[in-house]
Amino acid sequence: MKLLDFFKRKKVPPAKIGEETFKRKYQSFKNLLDANNAALEVMARLETIAEGDFVFDLQYIRTKTGLILEKCKEVIDELNVLTGNRYAGLVPVFEAVKTQIQNEVAPRSPQAEGAWTIPLSQVDRRLLWEVGSKNANLGEIRNRLHLPTPDGFVLTAEAYRQVLAENNLRADLAGFFQEAAPGNLDELAEKSRARRDLLLQAKIPARLLEEVKQLYDELSATLGYQPRLALRSSGLYEDQQFSFAGQFLTKLNVSLSQFFPSYLEVLASQFSPACLVYLAQKGLSHREMAMSVGCLAMVPARASGVLFTEDPTGSQEGRMVIHAAWGLGPTVVEGALNPDCYILAKGREITLLEQRISLKPVRLTAAADAEGLHQEPVPDREQKQPALAREEILLLGRYGVQLEEYFGSPQDIEFAVPAKGQVVILQSRPLIQSRPEAFPAPPVSDQPLLLDRGTVACFGVAAGPAYVITRDEDLVHFPEGAVLVARHTSAHYGLVLPRAAAMVVDIGSATSHLAILAREFKVPALVDTEIATQVIKTGQEITVDANNQRVYLGRAEALLRGQAQKPPLLSEMPVYQTLRRVLRWITPLNLTDPKLSDFNPEACKTLHDIIRFGHQMAIAEMFSLGEKADQEEAYMVRLKTPLPLNLYLIDLGGGIQRNRREPYVTPDAITSLPMRALWKGITHPKVSWAGPVAMNAKGLYSVFSRSLAAPSSQQSEFWLRTLAIVSKNYLNFSSRLGYHFATVDAYVSEVRTDNYISFRFKGGAADEYRRALRARFLGQVLKELDFEVEVTGDLVVARLARYPQQLMEEKLDLLGRLMACARQKDMVMSDEKVMEWYTRAFLEGNYGFEGEPR
Amino acid sequence: MAATIVIVDDEPDILDLLKLILTEKTPHKILTTTDPRQALEWCQSQKADVLISDLRMPELEGIELLKIIQQIDPNLPIILITAYGTIESAVEAMRHKAFDYIAKPFRKEQILLTIDKALKWRQEQLGG
Repeated sequence: MKLLDFFKRKKVPPAKIGEETFKRKYQSFKNLLDANNAALEVMARLETIAEGDFVFDLQYIRTKTGLILEKCKEVIDELNVLTGNRYAGLVPVFEAVKTQIQNEVAPRSPQAEGAWTIPLSQVDRRLLWEVGSKNANLGEIRNRLHLPTPDGFVLTAEAYRQVLAENNLRADLAGFFQEAAPGNLDELAEKSRARRDLLLQAKIPARLLEEVKQLYDELSATLGYQPRLALRSSGLYEDQQFSFAGQFLTKLNVSLSQFFPSYLEVLASQFSPACLVYLAQKGLSHREMAMSVGCLAMVPARASGVLFTEDPTGSQEGRMVIHAAWGLGPTVVEGALNPDCYILAKGREITLLEQRISLKPVRLTAAADAEGLHQEPVPDREQKQPALAREEILLLGRYGVQLEEYFGSPQDIEFAVPAKGQVVILQSRPLIQSRPEAFPAPPVSDQPLLLDRGTVACFGVAAGPAYVITRDEDLVHFPEGAVLVARHTSAHYGLVLPRAAAMVVDIGSATSHLAILAREFKVPALVDTEIATQVIKTGQEITVDANNQRVYLGRAEALLRGQAQKPPLLSEMPVYQTLRRVLRWITPLNLTDPKLSDFNPEACKTLHDIIRFGHQMAIAEMFSLGEKADQEEAYMVRLKTPLPLNLYLIDLGGGIQRNRREPYVTPDAITSLPMRALWKGITHPKVSWAGPVAMNAKGLYSVFSRSLAAPSSQQSEFWLRTLAIVSKNYLNFSSRLGYHFATVDAYVSEVRTDNYISFRFKGGAADEYRRALRARFLGQVLKELDFEVEVTGDLVVARLARYPQQLMEEKLDLLGRLMACARQKDMVMSDEKVMEWYTRAFLEGNYGFEGEPR
Repeated sequence: MAATIVIVDDEPDILDLLKLILTEKTPHKILTTTDPRQALEWCQSQKADVLISDLRMPELEGIELLKIIQQIDPNLPIILITAYGTIESAVEAMRHKAFDYIAKPFRKEQILLTIDKALKWRQEQLGG
């Protein structure tokens, strides 16, 4: 370390007892600061990249997150050296976050590579690239959360590759994905049919036949009977990046004799025209669409349904929504009938707020003597009964909260309730929500209203010619930009959804697969309108105002303004989604106020929290070292100053006049060259330290909303202690003024090649935009002062080196003035112009900012 | 003028992102593949005007691809994509007469600008 070299070379006067310990601790402190800075720098870089203008790959995310993890671990290790292992509790917290991050960027797992089949009892997210997201999540639910799931096994993506290889299909299929032209549905349908047929006739490798037989026998032994199976697709990118809701096949009630034909059908489902259109639309044409298949023992469901842990249409915060019906699940997710709807409040106590019981005349059951499902009438008296009992609803609510917490985002959960026994979870995936765009408004008067009812599946307004679908064959002729009008929410309609302007459906719920797809493609959609197919005719130009659940005849131009379709965004591509999911475990800061009781290792949820905690504790430790020291060894003194700085000095040697032994010193006792110079700037007569900065209402709101966003932050300790570690030629100055954090590390001597100033500044109280503007203000000024500057978001890093002593002192003086002037300036930085004005004002020496723009 | 641009990278993420950017921002025909041999074939059969290639690919190194292309069509500008911090490889690429290199991660404007320069250079070489 450069600093220790200085001490050796500069011959710091030898102190008595404790100096060696202090030096060692100081070295740890310094290492910790370095690791802290390095981690923050990479974090700022990743945040900038996540905004969406960059080209990068998963490897980049892996490298950078690896670096942040390494630096974060260094912070923990140095803190424990510094404090004699007082914060060993940070290690398990760190390891837990690390696992979450590594799960998101998991490379192929070496132990499972090559496995063709895996029992569900051995599956978790580490096997993501072998078993697909759906199976991996189910494994987590079963093996880590220990919630009830069906028993079963998984056929991996490698099994799929082996099937292709055995039948010489690999090259042919890879080429097919490249050629598929989503525009021509006729051609696409024909080509995909040919490929599907090839796959359906494929020969199964002998090894796969054997492994499945063995796993099935084991499963039968565990259950005590020979179960029928549910074969569920689990695409490698399904749910992980994109929903593919209802696009891949699920085969229910499959007997062992029909296992492989059904397996091939599931594999072939990715060659449906609907899937191909979906892929092309999402820009996923280069993916290896290897598919894993989950094989689960059928649950003889009395009732089943879906649970959304947030309202998918975003109209009510903190509400869970359950849709349920009699029998097996497809009734609900296919939208074949109106299910029961239960709404729960999601809080400390889960409570049932509302239930709407529908008439459920039919149900799907698994026939014991035949393959597939069987639809049967529900006895009259049961049709109007709730499909779920109250305890089942509340139990589901608790599972929902647990799953949402575990997976870190609102979830879309499928469940079944067996005839005997408790609720079973079938799958859990991230929920796609649609948010209201506008406040409710009265109908526009200049267009006839066709309908004004229904449930929002996706908010928005759009117009186009209506196209009423009565048979699946109609889909082939679906015109680009038309409004899809249909009786049911059949997942087959996903085929044309990317080309649809809007969607209106008679029957079906906002939780159906088609509704999920509508939200994913941002197609304004109304479901459950009851009468759409009666009042809307093919060819009519109509406007769908999903925001207000209305459909107008003609184009309601007033509503359509500003609703232009946007092209797909770079930031919605898979690698960006992965980065954002990873950042969720890295950048949010939950620990803000060290004075609050939850400022402890257990409260750390992200790497930023851990680093922040480590940094704060390290500074506290340095203070306490100073406080504990014998008077004779008084390393630490408080600086007597009227400024609200609360500044403490730790002298490593020659930084403060040694003949003083009071608990505080006055500024004239400072002999440290860099500290004197910086202090001169901080106390420049034209710099004002009085009172808060004047700001307009918007600036104030920006601070206010940020304070609300971080509820634990309190104003009580606005001026936290500032620490300056000094020697004759050295200064390390760390201050946390309000919400921002600034450090100056400098060395000033007659030997100009040793001289440097390093300045870092991050944070602020205002919103991101204003903080970034202040950072740029600092950056511009520092550039003018000859610093090398890097500004990333609200982080400023500036360096200057090898200037002669006198110039170094001048620069530190100016830096001191700048730090004082930049105080709280994020609140007044409302736009570029204001930022430019402040830059000029500072450079002109107008430190009081007289005539500042309002 | 619409040109033909061939892109090869073993990372599907890079192909997806580049295709999205170039389709939106340029009139060019964009062909993308993870297979260097396919790229080589396209360079000839599709009369490519620019080749964008990853430097490190498991099946055929970018430098090798570069050498082959140099022999077939010395006027085809090749832009190499390198991983951050592999400056030595970039230097080597330039020594083998790559038109330019671009280090990941990069901004979309950077690749657009580099492609423009490459297309101008090709026109000059062809005497256009």
